[in-house]
Amino acid sequence: MKRIIIDREKCDGCLNCNIACISAHEAGSNFYTVNLQSPAAETRNFIKFDAHKGYLPIFCRHCDEPECVLSCMSGALEKDPLTGHVQYDESKCAACYMCVMNCPYGVLKPDKQTRTKVIKCDFCDDKPDGPSCVKACPKKAIAVKEVSL
Amino acid sequence: MKIVIIGVSAAGISAAKAIKASEPDTEVVIISKEDSVHSRCMLHKFLGHERDAKGINFIADDFFASKGITWLSNTTVISLDTQKKTVKTHDNQDISYDKLLIATGAAYFIPPIPGLRESKNVYGFRDLKDAQLLDSECDTAKNAVVIGAGLVGMDAAVAMLTRGLKVTVIEMTAAVMSLQLDQKSAQTYQQLFEEQGAKFILNDKVVSVDVDEVGRGKTIHLASGKAVPADVIVIAAGVRPAFNFTEGSGIATNHAILVGDDLKTNIDDIYAAGDVTGMAGIWPNAMKQGRIAAINMLGEKLLYEDRFALKNTVNFYGLTTLSLGNINPEPEESCEILMREDRHNYQKVVIKNGVVQGVIIQGNIAGTGFWQYLIKNKIDISGKNKDVFSLGYADFYDLDQVTGDYRYAV
Repeated sequence: MKRIIIDREKCDGCLNCNIACISAHEAGSNFYTVNLQSPAAETRNFIKFDAHKGYLPIFCRHCDEPECVLSCMSGALEKDPLTGHVQYDESKCAACYMCVMNCPYGVLKPDKQTRTKVIKCDFCDDKPDGPSCVKACPKKAIAVKEVSL
Repeated sequence: MKIVIIGVSAAGISAAKAIKASEPDTEVVIISKEDSVHSRCMLHKFLGHERDAKGINFIADDFFASKGITWLSNTTVISLDTQKKTVKTHDNQDISYDKLLIATGAAYFIPPIPGLRESKNVYGFRDLKDAQLLDSECDTAKNAVVIGAGLVGMDAAVAMLTRGLKVTVIEMTAAVMSLQLDQKSAQTYQQLFEEQGAKFILNDKVVSVDVDEVGRGKTIHLASGKAVPADVIVIAAGVRPAFNFTEGSGIATNHAILVGDDLKTNIDDIYAAGDVTGMAGIWPNAMKQGRIAAINMLGEKLLYEDRFALKNTVNFYGLTTLSLGNINPEPEESCEILMREDRHNYQKVVIKNGVVQGVIIQGNIAGTGFWQYLIKNKIDISGKNKDVFSLGYADFYDLDQVTGDYRYAV
């Protein structure tokens, strides 16, 4: 399975990954035109800062045994048997948010605007060159790698 | 090998999926009294006319066909023979199994209140059939009464408010959703419901129901002396594990089917998962149990260890709440209670000796999944030297450099 592998030491907290993620999910936008002030602007990845450890990138793991999928009562979250990625079908989601409760790494969140859907990494599976965050990282702190779990 | 699964909700479907994912050649037969697969957590969406029956299905349309599973719908299991290893159905079929999974869930319970059980317009809110019956009542009814202000009662209330009924909710305790919320967070939801026209009668009990000449409950009398008019009555006073058909089979029960950590009953080759085990009445745990039982039926030895079940989320009228663990500690438990609130949020953390016992996060619940890990693993956070409300997974961040898996540094 392809996963975004993190080299924490290289991250310098520029947040280009956040902007790339927001842009990737705002149709027709790019790095320069993305509307970061839109209420719909939501990043699916996070960079936290710790005084001792430095920058801590938090990206969906598309877990081997995804707790979010196990908690999903609508069938909206499913692990794709071919790619291994956990995909989200917004039309099925009933916004119960048990997935938010069950993600041990706090990656999932309700959408800010309506609280009718979940904001979750889709691995940019619809984009030919893969995750937008990885392409946008100037420090190569994140990279797509094949992992066997 | 032939595996028979009784029940077509979270545990049953999760088990079938796990079996077919790891050993596709295993013969799987699912028996259910329901004629549709649906998520009971979405019944309010059906009753509120937000979704149709298909819209509350939680599996793909071709689930059974694509996985090669035989589904006997509209079929009720009435008994089982553990010697011959067969189950008998209401239409007199004897279905053999090598391994059997009982995932029959639970059934709602109507308290023995004079007039209540006899009333023809009393409904539970558990299966699609209940919701369908309620649905046609809602076409003509004006006054609805919901008995019980737990999550199920509130689900029924929200749907009937959407349908334009006058809804009165009667609750024995002092607050709505008293298992999930404290007084303050409950009050916020109560107000939201009241703004939509709901009426709440708390700290009160139904003592009798007047039944009219055609057998319908018309007036509900309460212990306080109040009388509430009703065209339709929803009973949401709890559920009981459903396992009548195991009587005389030798399967050990105690208000639920008893299972070991491997989810096997006292009878070899018979397993149970989900609400019928009485271990946890919540979807994620039923799914996990179904999966573990399935893998054990295939010969593995997995244990059901992630038993933490005091967890839930609430989302009504766009107000979201996460509730975990012990949120209303008794004074003698000498817990420390920390609270923080602003216009949109209310947060409460219950701590004892540095270990988080429970949390309520109402409002913004983004990224709050880490709390469950801290509570169920009894992680001591006293060394964190940080405002408890600003904690997140980042404070426990650890990474496997090879696989990229996150771990907890504790």
